[in-house]
Amino acid sequence: MSRLRYAAGRLLQSIPVVLGVITITFLLTDAIPGDPVSIMLGPSPSAQQAAAIRAKFGLDQPLHVRYVNYLIDVIRLDFGQSLYYGVPVTQKILERLPVTLLLLVSSFTFALVTAVPLGVISAKRRNKPTDHVSRIVALFGVSTPSFWIGLMLIILFAYKIRLFPATDLVMPWAHPSAVDGASTQLEVVLTALHHLVLPTITLGTLQMAAFTRIERSSMLEVLGQEYVKLARAYGVSEGKILRKHAFRNAQLPLITIVGLQLTQALGGAVLTETVFSINGMGRLIITAINNQDYLLVMGTTLMFGVVFVVGVIVTDLSYAYVDPRVSYDDTD
Amino acid sequence: MSEPLLTVENLQTQFFTEEGVVRAVDGISFEVNEGEIVGLVGESGAGKSVATSSIMRLVENPGEVVGGTVRYRDEVLVGFEEGPDGERRRSPEMLSEAEMRTRIRGREIAIIFQDPMESLNPVFKVGDQLREFIEINREVSKAEAREIAVDMLREVGIPEPEERYDDYPHQFSGGMRQRVLIAMALACEPNLIIADEPTTALDVTVEGQILDLVRDLQAKYGTSFIWVTHDMGVVAEICDRVNVMYLGEIVEQAEVDDLFYDTKHPYTEALLRSIPRPDQTVEELNPIEGVMPEAINPPPGCRFHTRCPDAREVCRRAHPAYQDVTGDEPPHRVSCVKYEDVGYEDSDPLETAATGAFGGGLVEARGESDE
Ligand SMILES: Nc1ncnc2c1ncn2[C@@H]1O[C@H](COP(=O)(O)OP(=O)(O)OP(=O)(O)O)[C@@H](O)[C@H]1O
Ligand code: SF4
Ligand SMILES: [Mg+2]
Repeated sequence: MSRLRYAAGRLLQSIPVVLGVITITFLLTDAIPGDPVSIMLGPSPSAQQAAAIRAKFGLDQPLHVRYVNYLIDVIRLDFGQSLYYGVPVTQKILERLPVTLLLLVSSFTFALVTAVPLGVISAKRRNKPTDHVSRIVALFGVSTPSFWIGLMLIILFAYKIRLFPATDLVMPWAHPSAVDGASTQLEVVLTALHHLVLPTITLGTLQMAAFTRIERSSMLEVLGQEYVKLARAYGVSEGKILRKHAFRNAQLPLITIVGLQLTQALGGAVLTETVFSINGMGRLIITAINNQDYLLVMGTTLMFGVVFVVGVIVTDLSYAYVDPRVSYDDTD
Repeated sequence: MSEPLLTVENLQTQFFTEEGVVRAVDGISFEVNEGEIVGLVGESGAGKSVATSSIMRLVENPGEVVGGTVRYRDEVLVGFEEGPDGERRRSPEMLSEAEMRTRIRGREIAIIFQDPMESLNPVFKVGDQLREFIEINREVSKAEAREIAVDMLREVGIPEPEERYDDYPHQFSGGMRQRVLIAMALACEPNLIIADEPTTALDVTVEGQILDLVRDLQAKYGTSFIWVTHDMGVVAEICDRVNVMYLGEIVEQAEVDDLFYDTKHPYTEALLRSIPRPDQTVEELNPIEGVMPEAINPPPGCRFHTRCPDAREVCRRAHPAYQDVTGDEPPHRVSCVKYEDVGYEDSDPLETAATGAFGGGLVEARGESDE
């Protein structure tokens, strides 16, 4: 019960955060040099034409009026019309967001699935060869730029040994008829996974490395705790101590870092999408910025903000789920 | 007298640190009889906790039990022998790690740690933690273990144990957590409970309640205890026999009345003098002068000579033997050259923290300022 109440509270708290994101996005976009009108009409439009366009998009209004109008539109999930694509921004986002989310989910899954066991083993075999190897891997991971990893993977696995494709990412939910060589949905999913391997490693390596380090250090810390000693003193086996008594506590710092790494991963997604020619949110925002498509810039930035806020909420809820001290009152 | 439940002989535990070898426990011997509460007292850093972990073979890196014997009934928990090459090595009788885990820890010997706030796992329900240990150490089903857990919580004075079973540790006060830890130890039905300063973190009223509780439960279950503390008041209240520890060694051991009324060792005297009395003001308190030296390079001779009010020249040279000085049964053992025939009487007094060192320090300070 108290966990539900905590979740509801946390969701309510995120409303002002999203409002803040909208406001900042709006102000920043307004401050960007360059005039969208000149982009729409070419270098030397007539004054009349310019005025008409300004009136049409409400650009002749003072800042606060434009802000309020934009806010109302956003609440109605209307982000306006993309100047560059000539379609509603919402449509463009709906098309691109699932691609980026897929990339994020798969790289975080990859990172967690590898980092947690690595970190635990590292901690367990502290200062033994296994630990050193995993620490070197982690150090390599955090200190190597993801675009470089991406390029190396492409050269090695896509061109030299042709094991994994470097382009033409397929969505697992695509219709079989739209995918080469696939006749069933299962084949589509398999093709998608095959295509996802390199982008996932590219985007996930940094996360994996960061998570491994956290997992190792927090596991080490927990293993030194009095309650672990107590479990040992009552005859609990080392395996069970690792799996049960220490494991759950050790995940708390990791959960926090997963949430924080999301910002980093959103940035990484932009690079990864560029390297692998994936049409996701990252490339969309770059196109929008390059073409001064201000409504699209605002819409995509806002979406990134929302993804981050949702990520943080999920993080907090998982934390509260694992640690009863967060969601339970001390008062009763 | 029947065989003791636990015999510790010449136990040695060292920590191999970068600064050097810390001789945290340096050859201690004592025993615990059935149904007895044996005190282990000494200042902070004396080696009490290390001694208790050594008995349970729970010393962690960089520490290691390096010598001595610990015998529990017929089992050898710690044992060494001389190898053919003259090297000291583990004796083959010594229980393996797995045997320690499945036969001794929790089942035969349970421990209550120093800090009730840190000893319970914050992410699991209190009752479940209790239940798990009962399941491991007794031949009972999950449901039975739960029942035992609830009964035991009731027995140690947790109100509404059925409801509190599902609470998390942070919902318990310090005193309540300590009761839970005591319940844990008792619920596994060990023959010996090692309580490492279990009341130090609690306020005096709660401490009193816990001591009463332990006395009652001890009478009921006949469990033996090793009661670790630095508080002579607690010793007087609960112990049958006492071992006084100083810098890794036991310096005096006696029945509790003997220790209080026929004190032999100057360190024990100092400890007793340092018990605050209600009629004393803060200025009148008698803390032991000086600080306990590091266990890395313990002072030569008698380890207490740097602080002993009775120290003489000979104390710096001769390491006192640990011996019975009354010849009565039970023995009253002490380690001090005053009770040996090594010329203490004819030796010159030493200046120590307790005698003249402080004055000497002032003179030196003045001398320096003159230059
Ligand atoms: N992990 C360790 N590494 C190095 N030295 C240690 C370690 N643990 C304990 N020691 C040393 O062992 C000695 C005895 O410590 P111990 O914890 O047994 O003292 P104690 O008598 O229990 O004191 P307290 O009343 O403070 O609990 C101390 O000198 C301490 O510095
Ligand atoms: S041997 Fe000497 S220094 Fe040590 S306790 Fe006895 S009198 Fe004091
Ligand atoms: Mg201690």
